[in-house]
Amino acid sequence: MQSALDHTVAFASSGSFLVQPSTGLTIWTIVVFLLSMAILARWVFPLIRRALDRRKEVIEDSIDAAERTRRDADRLLTEYQERLTDARRQAEDIVQRARQAAEVHARGAQAEAHVRREQLMEQTRREIEAETRRAIEEIRSEVADLTVMATEKVTRMALTEEDQRRLVEEAVRELDFTELSVGGEG
Amino acid sequence: MSFVQNMSTRAKIGWGFLIAWLGGTIVFAIAYGITSHKAASIVSGQFSPIDEFRLDTWFKIGPIAINKGVLFILLAAVLTVGIMFWVARQMQIRRPNRVQVAVEWFYDFTRQMTSENMDDRLARKYFPLVATLFVFILVTNLIGYIPLPLETSNTFNLFGVHVPSFQIYAADTNVAFPLILAAMVFLLFNYEGVRYHGPIGYVKSLIPGGVGRGILPLIVVIEILSVFLRLLSLTIRLWANLLAGHLLIAFMGGELGVLVGLPFISWFLLPLGVLIFVFEATLIAGLQAFIFAILTAIYIGDSVHGHN
Repeated sequence: MQSALDHTVAFASSGSFLVQPSTGLTIWTIVVFLLSMAILARWVFPLIRRALDRRKEVIEDSIDAAERTRRDADRLLTEYQERLTDARRQAEDIVQRARQAAEVHARGAQAEAHVRREQLMEQTRREIEAETRRAIEEIRSEVADLTVMATEKVTRMALTEEDQRRLVEEAVRELDFTELSVGGEG
Repeated sequence: MSFVQNMSTRAKIGWGFLIAWLGGTIVFAIAYGITSHKAASIVSGQFSPIDEFRLDTWFKIGPIAINKGVLFILLAAVLTVGIMFWVARQMQIRRPNRVQVAVEWFYDFTRQMTSENMDDRLARKYFPLVATLFVFILVTNLIGYIPLPLETSNTFNLFGVHVPSFQIYAADTNVAFPLILAAMVFLLFNYEGVRYHGPIGYVKSLIPGGVGRGILPLIVVIEILSVFLRLLSLTIRLWANLLAGHLLIAFMGGELGVLVGLPFISWFLLPLGVLIFVFEATLIAGLQAFIFAILTAIYIGDSVHGHN
């Protein structure tokens, strides 16, 4: 007990054990350290590196995928916009064409109606003309008959019927009925 | 007491701490006086604050002693490998959780550290070393802030069982731990240098360009010395930082009061001890591990490409 105390006092006063490396600790330290390093280098660090690399890859892939998706979306959007513009243009086209067709149709109908009216009027005019002519003929022959009768009454001359008629007709032909015709027409 | 009710919860807690702190100091000063009452073991010199860093041999396997430091190394190794392995497995199947994000950050950070200081071949070759140094030292440092019942030279009685005192111990506080790791790095960067330049070429590569003939011998000596100083600086930086940190925590956490025999000093310094503990555990532990790892990368890269 006394010797242990002396031992302690001797060390405490010098403190030399602090700077005197403990042999046991030295050997244990290097052995344990090298062993730890071997284990870490062999089994642990590669695992960590792999995990980090993989995570980096995953992140890069995700970024790539996102980029790709965005590009696809952009492309789709442009496509849809183009298609929409196209559709709008087509619709406008169709409307335009329909309007044109309607116009053409309307114009055609108008023209046809016009033609038809013209035809009807022409026909009417021709019928009137024919009637007029017939009426004139009738008047003419009536006048001739009346004249013959009148002449007969006045002259009582023995002119044959044939002669009289010829004479009257000659006279009548010299008469101008155009004025009558124009008046009838107006 | 309406002003107390009007205070926010945070203010109440703050004032409570302040009053407990100052009041406790006064209570201790009154109860134990402001004259020194040193414990007998301190007066006789039996108790020394650095004794907690002594490595008592628990038992031996052949010539190799098992002690507290060895236990911490083993614990650190198991935790390091276990956590890394678990996270690596998790990363294969799950979405990242916070631990995985931290490990990923660590991995990328270390990869950057190696690739910025070495060429591709060396970076690939030494990535496991740099990464393992980083994480291994970090875990060793961190478990050094967990109080564990391992102070076998100082036991307390718990229901008749002599339980070793709780203490925060770090394997880094024994110079053996940083020294052997630094020696390994030292051997590796010299090996790479000699392999790349040849023995003569390596020494030449250490000498900066444009040195006059007259002072050349001096420069050679200085440069070779500086190579060896790397071994020392790597060792001492880690060792001294951790040892000083642990000593400071112990002193501020009550030991100073015990040493001078004034209990109120222990109480007075306790908040400072807590602050230093947090500072050490959150910043120094990671920083020292990082510095050791990045210096390893720099030294190895340097030995091949020269530092000119």
